[in-house]
This record gives sequence, C-alpha cells and structure tokens, in this order.
Amino acid sequence: MKKETIIAIFFGLLFGGVVAVFISLKSKDIELSKNKVIVPPAEKIVSPNSGGIEMQPLILTEPANNAIIEKNIIRFKGTAAKDSLMVIQSPIKDLIVKNTQEKFDLEFPLALGENSIKIVVYPKEKQFRPQEKFIKVYFIDSEL
Amino acid sequence: MIKNIKNCFIVTLLYFLLTGSIAIAQTPSVTASSSPTVAVDKDIQQLKDKIANKVSEIRKQNNKAISGFVLNIDENTMKLSTDGEVNQVKFDDALTKVFKVLGTTKKEIKKENISKNDYAIVSGVVTDNMITANVVLIDENFVADSGKITEINKDSYNIKVLTSDKNTYSLDIETTTKQYMVNIKTLLLETIGFSKLKEGDTVHFVVKKTGLEKGNNYSATKILIVPQEYFIK
Repeated sequence: MKKETIIAIFFGLLFGGVVAVFISLKSKDIELSKNKVIVPPAEKIVSPNSGGIEMQPLILTEPANNAIIEKNIIRFKGTAAKDSLMVIQSPIKDLIVKNTQEKFDLEFPLALGENSIKIVVYPKEKQFRPQEKFIKVYFIDSEL
Repeated sequence: MIKNIKNCFIVTLLYFLLTGSIAIAQTPSVTASSSPTVAVDKDIQQLKDKIANKVSEIRKQNNKAISGFVLNIDENTMKLSTDGEVNQVKFDDALTKVFKVLGTTKKEIKKENISKNDYAIVSGVVTDNMITANVVLIDENFVADSGKITEINKDSYNIKVLTSDKNTYSLDIETTTKQYMVNIKTLLLETIGFSKLKEGDTVHFVVKKTGLEKGNNYSATKILIVPQEYFIK
C-alpha cells in the first residue's frame, strides 16, 4: 500500500470521527428541545355556569405593592379580561376605562406620601365575579 | 512508512501549535499611557462611580416605606401601629427630615411636633426590625374600597356597604362628600346627589381614617357609583 493511501485513510477516519461526534451532539440538542418542559400559562378562571368559557384573571405586573416611587405619576401595567370595565380609585383620582385588549398600560397620578389604590375589574360576561386588588404606593420625592 | 506518517502528524501538530502561539502573541497588550496620572485619575473616578452606584443600589434595595398611627414617641424613636402590626422607627438627627403634608404641598417641621395618633409615613432603611427614618411625612390616612349598597338611610344620609371580603362599612354622606356616578354609555363621571343612590348599586369609596372610629362608621370623602343597570344591559 502506498503511503499516500494510508495518509488518506487516516485523515478520512479522523474526519469521519469528527462528523460522527458533531452529529451525535446535535441530535441530543434536538431531542432536548423537543422534550423540554413547557411552563403552563397563568391559570384561567372558569365559571361553573359559563359553559367552559375561560376568563383572563387580573394580573398587575406594575407597580408592586408598597413600592416607593420618586415621580408623581405611575403606570399600571398588566392583563385583565378583554372588554371588561376597569375602575382604579385613589383619594385623588378615579379612572374608569374599558379594557379593549387583554394587556393594559394606564397612567395614574400620585399624591405626595401614601397612596391607597383599589383596582376592580368587572368582566363583560356577567356570570364572572369582579376581580379586585388593593395596593399601597408611596410617592417620596427624591428631593426630600 | 510509519515513520513518515509520524513525521506528517508531528508536522501538523507543530503547525497548529505555532499558529496558536502566534495568535496569542499578537493579542494586544495594555500599552502604557502617555500620561500615567490621567489614567490613574480616570481609574479612580471609575472606581468611585462604581462604589457610588453600588451603595445607591443597596440603599434602594433596603429602602422601605411603612405607615401607621403614632402609638408613642420619644427623643430617638417612635412606634407606629397599622392594622394591629407595630413598627419601630429610629430617628437620626443628621439624616431624618420631618414634613407635614398640606394637600399638594409640604412644610418641614421638627420631630417634636409629631404627636400621638398622628398618621406617619416613614421611608428609610430597615435593619433588625427597625426602620431608620430618612423622611417622615405626617399626613391623613385614606382608604379606598368598594362593595354593594345594602341599605340606604335617607334621614341620616348614611349608607351600608358590603365589600367582597364580607366587611360592612357604614358611610356618612356629608355635604362635603364628592358623589359621582358612571354614565353607562359614555363611561364618563357625572356629579350626583344622595337621592340617586339605590340599593344594589356598586359603590367605590374613599374614607379618611383617624384610628379613633367606632365600629366601621366613616365619613365618606368621595363615592363613585357604578349603577346596577350597567350589569344588566
């Protein structure tokens, strides 16, 4: 056997080995991505009288309860049932809006100091009960 | 022949090693600054900024706000009570500022002006269940809640409201109470009088708590009615 042939066989085997290792690693990744656990979405509320209709619960992502804010305006962000009536009340402001989409992003003024805020969502489907949240937000001026 | 293969392999290995070392050798080294003091100053400033940011971050993380009625107060501390929970507040003469909130403005006062049963809002750093006050605001305590009107007394201008957590409020509607109703078509607020209230209506209300109330009777600061017609349309 010629030496060139042996070298060719050697490099052929080496290249084959590299390709084999690459393919086995790649197939493992594909298998993992296929079998990965999918986190269930936020639990939806189902009314016993609603014939299986699900309702988006009120989720407030911003602001957090007892948050300290340095500005006199905050934004309420979160999700609530589509087409529900939202009432947000504080000592200085009453905000009534129809939540046309599930996500909401609403501007709300704050008074200096403590702000007790009640948020109530009245779903369009009358068989569902209103959902409520009560939070306290503190507006402490950064200049103080 | 085996010798040749060995040589070939060694040559390949050497080639890779050499190219690797050349690449390492070519990585840029930190060149000495033409002006060392400027570079040192810049480094110090960066370090200072980093420390200041970290300190501010930690302070923000530990900064909390609490509120409650003043149970007792002495030279260096006070106790606040809110919904049965008692919090201890420490004053720092060099740090603590005390203000009285007057509507939308504030006025700086001395801590000696704080008295028992005042409603205090305190912001500061919490350590060992004690908050060291940066700022103390003396204000009024307002609570917002909602429920259904279960009873209307037209003689005493009083309504009873049952909340979703089965709490019954007795609300006095004063001449100063702001009364609004949601227009079910436009969702705009309309000013109303006491005669427009109906049993079964949903009411959102704000009351001022003094801590000295008997039962659940409050003078309403404002009420907002969502009429029952909205729910049957």
